Amino acid sequence: MTEALTTAWEWITRAHGHLLIVDQVVIALAVVAFLARHRIRRWLQSHEAISRGFSSPFVRALLALGLIMLLGCRFNADGAFFHWSTHRDMFRSYSFFGILACGMTVVILTAGIDLSVGSILGFVGVVFAHMAIRWQWSGWLAIPLCLAIGAALGAVSGALIARFRMQPFIATLAMMVFARGLARYVTSNYKIGRNVILPDNTPFRYPNPPVFDLLDSKILWDNVHFSTLVMLGCFALTWILLTRLRVGRHIYAIGGNEEAARLSGVPTAAVKVFVYALCGLFCAVAGICFTGQATQGDPDAGFTYELTAIAMVVIGGTSLMGGRGGIGLTFLGVLIFGYLDKILSINGQGTEIRFMFTGLIIVIAVLLQRGEK
Amino acid sequence: MSTWMRSLGLVCALMGCALIMACGPQAEAPAPAGEAGEGAPVVGGVAELPAAPETPEPTPIAEPETPPAPAGPTEDEEPRWTIAMSQCNLGEPWRVQMNADIAAAAAQHPEIEVVFQDAQNDASRQRSQIEEFAAAGVDLLIVSPMEPEPLTGPISEVYQQGIPVIVLDRAVYGEDYTCFIGADNVKIAEAVGEFVLEILGGEGQVVELTGRMTDMPGRDRHIGFHNVIDGTGVEVIFQADTIWLEPNARSEMESALSRFEDIDLVYGHNDPAARGAHLAARAADRDDEMLFLGIDALPHEGQAYVREGIFAATFLYPTGGAEAIDIALRILNGEEVPKEIVLNSRVFTPDNIDQGGEVLIFTEE
Repeated sequence: MTEALTTAWEWITRAHGHLLIVDQVVIALAVVAFLARHRIRRWLQSHEAISRGFSSPFVRALLALGLIMLLGCRFNADGAFFHWSTHRDMFRSYSFFGILACGMTVVILTAGIDLSVGSILGFVGVVFAHMAIRWQWSGWLAIPLCLAIGAALGAVSGALIARFRMQPFIATLAMMVFARGLARYVTSNYKIGRNVILPDNTPFRYPNPPVFDLLDSKILWDNVHFSTLVMLGCFALTWILLTRLRVGRHIYAIGGNEEAARLSGVPTAAVKVFVYALCGLFCAVAGICFTGQATQGDPDAGFTYELTAIAMVVIGGTSLMGGRGGIGLTFLGVLIFGYLDKILSINGQGTEIRFMFTGLIIVIAVLLQRGEK
Repeated sequence: MSTWMRSLGLVCALMGCALIMACGPQAEAPAPAGEAGEGAPVVGGVAELPAAPETPEPTPIAEPETPPAPAGPTEDEEPRWTIAMSQCNLGEPWRVQMNADIAAAAAQHPEIEVVFQDAQNDASRQRSQIEEFAAAGVDLLIVSPMEPEPLTGPISEVYQQGIPVIVLDRAVYGEDYTCFIGADNVKIAEAVGEFVLEILGGEGQVVELTGRMTDMPGRDRHIGFHNVIDGTGVEVIFQADTIWLEPNARSEMESALSRFEDIDLVYGHNDPAARGAHLAARAADRDDEMLFLGIDALPHEGQAYVREGIFAATFLYPTGGAEAIDIALRILNGEEVPKEIVLNSRVFTPDNIDQGGEVLIFTEE
């Protein structure tokens, strides 16, 4: 017992040695805020504008993001966090997730879920690689075809859900397994890259498709990666769709109460097929960007990406029950996830720490979203 | 309205199916990456066969037995033995290569036939596949087990029934197998360490992009490397787990690049890790400042990257496929074989890649 106590005391003193003055101030402020929480709440209630602000999910997601950014400033890895390149690279590596999360948001708003996003990304990725590398098709031909394939696969899930009344979880689970199998089948388990070994054992190298250079380029004087721009485009498109078009209102209506929506004349089946097809389309966009950057098609690309995409949507504040949330929230969710991972990465933390932090941040973000009743 | 939507959906679905079908068979045809040896029996290849130095023996045996059929490859001959190959996971390119090596080696010997099974990374599935093979009465079992713990028992049972067993790549417990063939990751990583010491002149800053550290190969490739470089002027300044994946390696390398001004060398535990790092460095215009090293050296991955000039070296992690067929034939012909064979590695550098690399000898036989 005394041994455990001394060990604990040693840990505390050792931790204390690592703390900067900033940390001690932050800890002190947090303790004060916790002790004075009733007073703070009363003060907030008496200032209606502020309390209304804090009850909006967007501000709450911003709070979580702010927390992450503070963490980044504190653990800045010898100033690496303050380099723009760190942020640019974060946006690049998370652009795929961002694009997937756009489609996922729309699906989740209808109270559905799409588990097949990672697999469709992988399948479209290898098909695109095959078209661009092996068949030397131009991007103008390959990209629209790949987008159509993604949308078609999404539409199949949508049709299973809308027409055959399958649970979205089950229908898209089936699509997840099927599309992964398909990706492995068409590639015979090989990555589709530029280097091959010909049957007579001589190495051969296909020329680099120009479309790959575009997809892996940096624009605005090397400050923004091309795929980041694609991601922002997807977010803009989804925002217009959800807030400016009639189908957006239908999506929210279905998520709120499907039966009521149907009775008031919303074509629920058509909207659902559309939503899953759109999600498939976004997966195709992500798959194309992914392949362009890796300069090869990997049939296992996008493995478990669906879980990250779902987590991003949820920590943004969109409800899994449907009908509540929005694309702006998902954008914040992507930033929260991306920055957390980047901060842990520049600090050279191992996977064990990253998993624990990711788990913690999901819980904290969701608790922040819920707030106090 | 909804009929319109439905027909649109149908059209989309049909289009998708058509594309998939269009893609499927053709996708397999121009993907000769690993099936190099399997391409040989194709009609067009026959004319080239005599020129190839590897096949002097089978051609004279095959010729008298196949008199008329012009297109008939050597398959007409009745195989004497059936060899079963139980692969634990065909989702990995390296294991695809292992199967391809076995198939290529077996294609040289008409007296054997190899049947393959893929356990899809599931030990209990592999167990039932092994049991099915034994029940079908195969003459020899080659098994690359998923994990030792659940598979030692089933493999031992097959061995006790009198079927010779070759364990490939991953070991099982105990002595109930005929021969174990595997490479030694620690030794290969030590060779990497010595190469790094030499090429950097005993001093430098290294980024180590590890494989999944909960996997045995990931740990061994870390341990072997540090066995050599620890205590020297070569220092690992950044280490990250890529779980063997290229996209992860790229984002980790981006972090290393934004944090460190001076990086002399990147050691990737597999070739995709080193290539992901190269992609990141190239995007940051810093790929000329540092060297890239990988392990595995698959012909269409690591070896091709050395040939492209982006890798300073890649170290072969041999699949043992060809050796397994060789040992299998010796066992079936009643010869004595050693209980354990540690495979030699090869290092491929831009200087020796055209000569097929340089052999690193770990065991003399």
